[in-house]
Amino acid sequence: MSAPIFFLQSMDGMGMDGGMNMGRDLPLVAPEIAVLLTAVGTLVFEMVRLPRVALPFTVVGLLVATSLTIPLVGTETTVFMDTFRVDALGVWAKLILLPATALCAVLAYPEVKDTDREGTVYALFSFTAIGTLALAGAGDVMFLVLGVLLSSLGSFALVAYPRDDRATEAAMKYLVFGSVTSAAMIFGLTFWFGASGSTLLSELGGVGEMPLAATAGLVAVLVGLGYKASVAPFHFWAPDAYDGGPLAVAAFLSVVPKVGAILALAQVVRFLPESTGWPLAIAALAALSMTYGNFAALVQENVVRLLAYSSIAQSGYFLLGVAAFGGSELAVSSLVVFAAAYAAMNIGAFTIVAVAGRDLRDFAGVGRSAPVLGAAMVVFLVSLVGIPPVAGFFGKFLLFGAAIEGGFVWLAVVAILNSVLSLGVYLRVIVPMYRATKPRATPVSVPAIGAVWMIALFLTVAIGVAAQALIGNIV
Amino acid sequence: MTNVLVSITLFLPLLGAALLVCLRGSSPRTSHTVGIVFSGLALLGAVFMWVRGVSGGGFSQVEEVSWIPSLGVAYRVGVDGISLPLVLMTAILFLVSLIYSAYVSENAKSYVALFLLLETACLGTFLALDAILFYVFFEVTLVGMYFIIVGWGYAERQRAALTFFLYTLLGSLPLLLAILGLYLGSDPRTFDMRALIENPPLAGLAAALALVAMLVTFFVKTPAFPVHTWLPLAHTEAPTAGSVILAGVMLKLGTYGLVRFALQMTPDAFRDLAPFVVAFGVFSALYGAFVALAQTDLKRLVAYTSVNHMGYVIIAVGVAAAATDASTRSLALDGATLQMVAHGFVTGALFLLVGMIQDRARTREMGALGGLLRAAPGLGWAFILAAFASLGLPGLAHFPAEFQIFLGTLGVYPVAVVAVVGIAITAGLYLRAIQIAFLGETDGKRRKFGDLEMREWLALAPLLILVVLLGVAPFLVLDVIHATTTGILP
Repeated sequence: MSAPIFFLQSMDGMGMDGGMNMGRDLPLVAPEIAVLLTAVGTLVFEMVRLPRVALPFTVVGLLVATSLTIPLVGTETTVFMDTFRVDALGVWAKLILLPATALCAVLAYPEVKDTDREGTVYALFSFTAIGTLALAGAGDVMFLVLGVLLSSLGSFALVAYPRDDRATEAAMKYLVFGSVTSAAMIFGLTFWFGASGSTLLSELGGVGEMPLAATAGLVAVLVGLGYKASVAPFHFWAPDAYDGGPLAVAAFLSVVPKVGAILALAQVVRFLPESTGWPLAIAALAALSMTYGNFAALVQENVVRLLAYSSIAQSGYFLLGVAAFGGSELAVSSLVVFAAAYAAMNIGAFTIVAVAGRDLRDFAGVGRSAPVLGAAMVVFLVSLVGIPPVAGFFGKFLLFGAAIEGGFVWLAVVAILNSVLSLGVYLRVIVPMYRATKPRATPVSVPAIGAVWMIALFLTVAIGVAAQALIGNIV
Repeated sequence: MTNVLVSITLFLPLLGAALLVCLRGSSPRTSHTVGIVFSGLALLGAVFMWVRGVSGGGFSQVEEVSWIPSLGVAYRVGVDGISLPLVLMTAILFLVSLIYSAYVSENAKSYVALFLLLETACLGTFLALDAILFYVFFEVTLVGMYFIIVGWGYAERQRAALTFFLYTLLGSLPLLLAILGLYLGSDPRTFDMRALIENPPLAGLAAALALVAMLVTFFVKTPAFPVHTWLPLAHTEAPTAGSVILAGVMLKLGTYGLVRFALQMTPDAFRDLAPFVVAFGVFSALYGAFVALAQTDLKRLVAYTSVNHMGYVIIAVGVAAAATDASTRSLALDGATLQMVAHGFVTGALFLLVGMIQDRARTREMGALGGLLRAAPGLGWAFILAAFASLGLPGLAHFPAEFQIFLGTLGVYPVAVVAVVGIAITAGLYLRAIQIAFLGETDGKRRKFGDLEMREWLALAPLLILVVLLGVAPFLVLDVIHATTTGILP
């Protein structure tokens, strides 16, 4: 009986706000359209053998899409019959993730230039970003599915790009893991559709009456989005995929799809009745992810894998904001500020790795031979720990505040213990940098990469100082 | 135009650090000059602030700039009678540390830049009137000190710096939770410390939890038994000037926070827990004294006497919380604040002297020294003066402070006066140290032992003069302190 009701609802919605009205809706999704055109245009340049134009076109296209988002700040509405939300989370996801994608594309340039199909890498970044934006603004379970699949397909191809054994193995693991979790998610989501009679997230209030179906759907969403966000215990693909592919892809995967998936989770729990137990489930995942990620990072000898596990831990911090979503006014600001901080500092850290080397031993003495680069790495890592006055501190501080306000004091305590643990992790990189040993080679940044980490450094500091610019513009 | 003296004083050292970073390929000499000039200017600013003084209740010389209005966070700085003496002390200690350090040639630029950064952070912690700003500065001090220990410490510096950083970060994060709790409890929500002091926002269990979190943070920093274990390691491995700042300034961040946050923002909970706090203080004071007695390394000895002296401050704050009449309370707080200032100067001088001994003898073991008084009379007499001050001799800096503390304690917790035994023990251990290291015969090789040079006198003399001045004329500082402590709690 559910399908006809769904259909009728859609009919009802036609004339109302949030109904299908292309004239009204299209300007609200202009950024997404711009990204799509960017991706397609980049492919066209690749096809006509103009890879030199592909990167500038991608960067400009993504920045245009970002600037198209600026007028939308403060909007709180839905489009396409309530299926896609243009709200604080969705809009800020664009403002944060599109420039982040552009930075990753620039970071990829030295690694992929003059290779066959160079332009496809940039196009895949854009395509994956669209999938991520679909997640961050999801108002309907179909958008969740679409977002996960779209961003996954692009990511698989990006990891496999170098076509050597390592990359192929990593992509294969990622593909198998991604396919299984996505399938599980789609399967589980059908229970919600069955229980609420609608695929709209805003109708999820109805699932509370059917606890088993509600739980099945919740588990499905946690599996699917948890995999995208590399939350423990759905993280197994992440270290291999990050280390197997180009570093730019690792930076991208650790930031863009992850943040999108976290925000999608927030969009889901916004409507989910608390009787399903989601706050506790997410809090438990947060604690697990933080603790596991930091402990695993503590024993890595490869900096990429160290950052991979650290990004699993950071997902746990993100979940503090999601767990508090129902009970805290700070939740939305905390997610947005931490997302911005995380994007800047994590891309920065990966960029420094691209310059200095993937092995922990490559960092020996770097702080003495390249003081500015070393100082930048210290800022990124200190920010990842959450030490003031840089961006990561403000993000974490808001997340802790949201958790306490939402009644999760224990989770905030777990989070601070993990912050100390994470300092141990990042000091493993910082300490050798200032040892009086001669580095293997003095790291030299090519101009493109130098620009990326300097921008990331600027943003990591600026988001801390100018936090009001973000918080003041979040409804 | 609003007044900007406090902010200028606060950021002058940071400006110096930025200047150093921008100067390409400067010689150690230039770096040290920049350091001394900028910390000297900061001291000048602090002196001007001292001259402007504080008015009775609340904070004076307040400067405020909007920062994150949506969250009630702003850049707010100002002073009262408790913070102003500490600000002046901080500025003096940084200047003498940089003067003493003028011989450091290894990476001098980074060394001076880190000290200047640390100076801004320490001044900022005392000046901040916004809880988030306080926390920001409080944590930046950690980062600065970590790099100073790692970069210029002794043999075990890596381990010492790591322990210091992890330990004190673990210690300071509970404060963040407490601040968030205070923020969420305040109405309208704000991080303005003046508002949080005016109307303590929490009550009952929430206040008790916030207080316990703050006590953890400030006890680690102070440090009190049993969370003092980072201190001996950090001190033995830190470079001399680092130890001066660590003991002279950074320990006070803990006791200052104890007054500013724990006592003033959760006064009722503190009153209930006061017996425990005093017990911790008594135990720390005695423990620090006894352990110091067992040390043969001069630097560890001085480090443990810090645990002892800070124990008295904790006792005093606990007594102030429990005191029912205003006069006892202000007596205890006067003593606590004066004790912080006295300890800064006395311990600063002692660490400088131990460093000077180590520079010459390449050892700090009392047994390996001997007859220093004859070999280097200036150094020897200076050490004896500082040691006598440290053991609480009347006429020197610690005496008026400890006298007031014990007088206050007597009225509230007569039992706690057993801590006075600590003074007797300190007297014993200093006399023993003086006897072994300074008296007796000089062995042959010590004859080449040079006495203090100009640079060392310049660093030491101001501290010794202040030690005597505080002992003879404590009212110079007490008047300022007292103006605030009389009205500190309702």
